[in-house]
Amino acid sequence: MSNVLLFNLTTVLLGVASALYLGALYAKNEKIAVYGTWICALAGVSSTAALGVRWYESYQMGIGRIPVTNLYESLVFFAWSMILIYLAVERKYGSRTFGAFVLPIAFFTMVFAVTNDSSIQPLVPALQSYWLHAHVITCFVGYAAFAVSAGVAVMYLLKVRQEDAKVSQGIVGLLPSGKALDDLVYRAIIWGFPFLTAGIITGAAWANYAWGTYWSWDPKETWSLIVWLVYAVYLHARITRGWHGKRTAILSIVGFLATLFCYLGVNLVLSGLHSYGGG
Amino acid sequence: MTTEKSDSSPMDKIWDFFTSIKLAIFTLIVLAVASIFGTIVEQNLPLEKYREIYEDWAFELLLRLNMFDMYHSWWFLLLLVLFTVNLTCCTVDRFPRAWKTVRNPRTKMDEGHEKALPHVERWRKKGTVEEWVPRYTVALSALFAKPLVSEEAGEVHLYAERGTASRFGVYVTHVSIIIIFLGAIVGNVLGFKGFVGIPEGDSVSRVPVRGGARLQDLGFDVRCNRFVVEMYPTGQPKAYISDLSVIEGGREVLRKKDVVVNDPLRYKGVWFYQSSYGEAGGAVARIQVIGPDGSPQGALSLPPNHPVPIPGYGVLRGVNYDQNFQGKGPALEVVVEKPGASPAGFWLFQRNPDLDRARKDSLAFAFGGLAPRMYTGLQVSRDPGVNVVWLGCALMVVGIIMAFFLSHQRVWLRLSPGTDGRVTVVLGGAANRNRLAFEKAFEKIQAGAKAVGE
Repeated sequence: MSNVLLFNLTTVLLGVASALYLGALYAKNEKIAVYGTWICALAGVSSTAALGVRWYESYQMGIGRIPVTNLYESLVFFAWSMILIYLAVERKYGSRTFGAFVLPIAFFTMVFAVTNDSSIQPLVPALQSYWLHAHVITCFVGYAAFAVSAGVAVMYLLKVRQEDAKVSQGIVGLLPSGKALDDLVYRAIIWGFPFLTAGIITGAAWANYAWGTYWSWDPKETWSLIVWLVYAVYLHARITRGWHGKRTAILSIVGFLATLFCYLGVNLVLSGLHSYGGG
Repeated sequence: MTTEKSDSSPMDKIWDFFTSIKLAIFTLIVLAVASIFGTIVEQNLPLEKYREIYEDWAFELLLRLNMFDMYHSWWFLLLLVLFTVNLTCCTVDRFPRAWKTVRNPRTKMDEGHEKALPHVERWRKKGTVEEWVPRYTVALSALFAKPLVSEEAGEVHLYAERGTASRFGVYVTHVSIIIIFLGAIVGNVLGFKGFVGIPEGDSVSRVPVRGGARLQDLGFDVRCNRFVVEMYPTGQPKAYISDLSVIEGGREVLRKKDVVVNDPLRYKGVWFYQSSYGEAGGAVARIQVIGPDGSPQGALSLPPNHPVPIPGYGVLRGVNYDQNFQGKGPALEVVVEKPGASPAGFWLFQRNPDLDRARKDSLAFAFGGLAPRMYTGLQVSRDPGVNVVWLGCALMVVGIIMAFFLSHQRVWLRLSPGTDGRVTVVLGGAANRNRLAFEKAFEKIQAGAKAVGE
């Protein structure tokens, strides 16, 4: 089970990277954040390796399947997507301050993952489908983009509070301008939205092949629709009604909370066809 | 426009209501909130269950609000209709403007327009307008896109654009939702869904339709030849496998030996999905069919005294079972009926599976013992709207990508004669999306255009 060791290592690295990013903000020292980037990149490498090793180990066990089929695997895949998207954002925007707000989400995802059963289980008949790959990958890339948007929205809210008060010192002073953050919240959502849409569609196609109904108002399906509606409201409010700033930032945080409930809450609280994590 | 608003007719007011984005946002929020309630109140349980869960007053209230089958309630359907009408009206209201922007572009940049543009640059060149027009036409083609050239009052205007599809992404997305709804309606009106359990050896030609007392005639028979459950060593289910045949006009027209979850049987637009299973009561004899060269040809389940046809061979029937026939262990007596021949009966011994090859027939049989008779549970559905739904889904992804990732970029260039034998060049640009990316693109175009002729 060397994959689990690698995932544990990833968890530690993410914790260290989060601490370094937060520390850099607190100490207002960019150098500390540079170490954060290196550790975060290392976490990206170790979690990628862990996914590969887990995939390989499943073949050795004669089960042979992509490692995204239970709560443990979906959590580590979610964290992996967040690390990659985060690194892309950091590179593109040339600012390391995002790390303090995004990486803790990935860290706590991994902490939650390691408290769950990490054994490789064979696939029940319903999961034996090529649609599994397309469905899970699109959904989690979408979720990860929404996680990034929510993290940045929190940064935005802190930043504008300071901009309104006309102060520019302190930790928040290091953050990019409110306008840039507002734009990044939007950019993350326009990446997440098509992936979520594709995730819902591949789920519907899969359901059609497995059960003969592409939409059955199952709680998971309904919650994915609710998440989609929240982000549809965000996009219409922002593009057509010209909403900017606080209201849209709060909407994107609401959207991510709905995403989290769709991902975890539905399985833990409500009953339905996506039973992983429920029991 | 503003003066017209005050004395607008009631028709206009209704139209304004249905084309407003406020209504769209309101409907999206109400749909989301209603759906949340739909997941909190479990749907479509028997009424007695709800009485156990809820207090009397809550039960009455929820029942009145149709909360137990919310997604089919009149008010939820009304919300969907309102949503669709709003979507349609918005599209009808706004699409012509987008169409006009693209079909009749503003090809001239006058001074008023120039002031409204986010990016404008000006410089001067030696020479005449006439000699610079061909140079800038070529340059703009290379730097951005082939320009349209027009002249007015001695000034020459060049206009070039890219990514006009960006203007239509939102309409493609909106129309895709309407297409998905149409597909769903077609499926609901013209299709059916049902469930049927078929014991091994039996066949059905009619299926009880879900949510009604009606039986749907399939127009053909489906027979379950065999049902098997495979397990992992851990005891978890690995596969549910049905061996199904389609029989039409007394003939087997299709056989699919492994109908499993995620791989349904399809025939004439009707899909049969592996969904459940159970014991049907009684026992069946497991028979291996063997070719003349000893190769396995498949497996059969023979229910007692139940004729099982074998295509191209005849009919096999298990007529008698003995736990220890003549001291040689478990044995099954079978009868073979072939067309144009009299029935032949003989015994098959579980302990001697090769014995039957001595008959020198085109097929031999081996008896694999008795097993409980299983039934396979199949979801049956016909949905003529499903391909319409997939078309809508594909369009939706395309539309969203068009709307967010393409950008309608426009560039204007004006050449006007100066007094001192020079030409004034003004370059303007605008984009409807990804403005930051366009800013960089504009800088390049501007640098390239300034360098022309140098």
